[in-house]
Amino acid sequence: MFGGVTTVVTGVDVAKRWGSTQALNGASFSVGEGVTGLLGANGAGKTTLLGLILGLHRPDVGTLDVLGHDPWLAGSQVRAKLGYAPEHDALPPDVAAHDVVRHLAELHGLPRREATSRASDALWEVGLGEERFRPVGTMSTGQRQRVKLAQAIVHDPELVLLDEPTDGLDPTQREAMLGLIHHVGADLGMHVVLSSHLLEEVERVSNAVVILEAGRVVAGGGMAELSKADPELVVDLDRDDSDQDPASRLAATLAELGAAATASSPTRVVAVLEGPGIYDVVRDALADGGYSVRRLQRRTASLEEIYLASSGRGAAL
Amino acid sequence: MSLRASDVVAGDGNARIFEGGYRPYRGIRLGVGHSVWALARHTIERIMGLKRPARYKVLPFLAVLIAYLPAIAFIGIVALAPPGGGRRILDFVPGPGRYYGFITAAIILFATLAAPEALCPDKRSRFLGVYLASPLNRTTYLLAKAIAVGTVLLLVTLGPPLLLLIGLALQNHGPNGFSDFMGTLGQILVAGVSLSLMFGAISLAVPSLTDRRALASAGSLLLILGSGAITGTVTFGLKGPRNVLALALNRLPFELALRIFTLPGLPTGPEREFGAHSPPLSTAVVVGASVAVTAVAAAVTWWRVVGLEVTR
Repeated sequence: MFGGVTTVVTGVDVAKRWGSTQALNGASFSVGEGVTGLLGANGAGKTTLLGLILGLHRPDVGTLDVLGHDPWLAGSQVRAKLGYAPEHDALPPDVAAHDVVRHLAELHGLPRREATSRASDALWEVGLGEERFRPVGTMSTGQRQRVKLAQAIVHDPELVLLDEPTDGLDPTQREAMLGLIHHVGADLGMHVVLSSHLLEEVERVSNAVVILEAGRVVAGGGMAELSKADPELVVDLDRDDSDQDPASRLAATLAELGAAATASSPTRVVAVLEGPGIYDVVRDALADGGYSVRRLQRRTASLEEIYLASSGRGAAL
Repeated sequence: MSLRASDVVAGDGNARIFEGGYRPYRGIRLGVGHSVWALARHTIERIMGLKRPARYKVLPFLAVLIAYLPAIAFIGIVALAPPGGGRRILDFVPGPGRYYGFITAAIILFATLAAPEALCPDKRSRFLGVYLASPLNRTTYLLAKAIAVGTVLLLVTLGPPLLLLIGLALQNHGPNGFSDFMGTLGQILVAGVSLSLMFGAISLAVPSLTDRRALASAGSLLLILGSGAITGTVTFGLKGPRNVLALALNRLPFELALRIFTLPGLPTGPEREFGAHSPPLSTAVVVGASVAVTAVAAAVTWWRVVGLEVTR
């Protein structure tokens, strides 16, 4: 189980080496329902992990379970239930979008008549209904990414693997694609693994995340669960001529009262929320000290902070 | 009955929405065999340029047309030859067994065009990764491609002699009697399938080594024609072993077809070198070489496709 819901993919100590490159190095993780972000820098092992989930490679070490099967041993059975959109621009340019999508539907076992009907439905769903008979090569990058999404969902898979689906898109197109991915995961009843090196887009649409760093899983779990780890209370104060550094004074007071708090600036105090009593402690300290309070807010960690903390990185991806 | 806006707005509450948008698929899902056939059919369409702009149709249809033209011409000659007076003309018309000699170039050209179109674009565009993310694996993927190439090659290896047989038979110039007709029909089927298998295997081997169509076509052509030149030089120029000629890929498939029609092989060299009655290669050598060449070519293709990297 994964945060109280069904587990779709489970990996235990998965390792995979390509020549001298250790692509995955003992990765253990779970992917649950909804949209799960697979986050990591380029070369972190994301695409290799997708290949293992698809049963295209055999792990050197470790076990992998996808929808109740070992993908290496039951590859065809597993892949019939998966949809996959690759990172690169792989679609044949001289073939109509509808033909490409229908062809993929047939490959996944749908009879020809059903595949034809589903191809139209899928292309309408991704916003290409009117454009579906245009050759893929005449479409914009954003439209081609939508065709890739359509071919991945046309056979109504249980799990959709999307490898960098916003690659090459401008901000407007990216926004629309993220909306579609959220729609697929939330409304169409498919589970989605969104592989990306962009923190912001994973944070936008995912309800869980697996963070890869040099082939290892450095953090994973539901977004709500991860962001709840060590939540903080941020207190912004006003300063005046008589008190230029109210934050240091408040932090010292809170420390005397047994609360873990630091002054991050002359006007900001960040206190670690260690139980419900901390609110009373902070309130009393503020009242007793006569502080002028500008803002008091409970803050949860962003995905970027989680990533930086777990990977030990000092810079963004 | 016309429908007014008021009818819609002031309905009785029984209206239902039938179009519910995207719906889960609850229908049947067919197995891997269906996937193989779907890919084979798609590849056949691709090779023939179907559902693609007109320029992609020109070469494949031209090659097929060239393969059928002699058969149509021979049938026309038989139809137009004066009764009793056209014996010499009718002697010129070959039977199905000798017909391949007229369309050798068309078959080789078609094979070297078809196979690269089947394999190269998937590798070059990396669509192969999408195929292998379906229920297909590398072996079933290759099986589908081989079925496609073999099937389109039947258009030029089986269709024309079949047309010739039927055309001649309808004009009483074909085999004598039903049993002869059925025997010749069987020989045409076996020869057509054998040629298709051999040229399919040979012409798939080179595209498995590269992802560029033009290079693959040129390479296949060079391999087929070059092997003929090299083996000829070894046998006739250097007076090497005669059996080396069995590795002439431009002749070996057609030699096999002749043996299937129980016809003697083509002359294997200049008369002054080997004499006017130099015996052709033995059937055992021709069959053995055909099996070996097909097996080696298939093994090379399989080895290359199995070793292709996707989603690394």
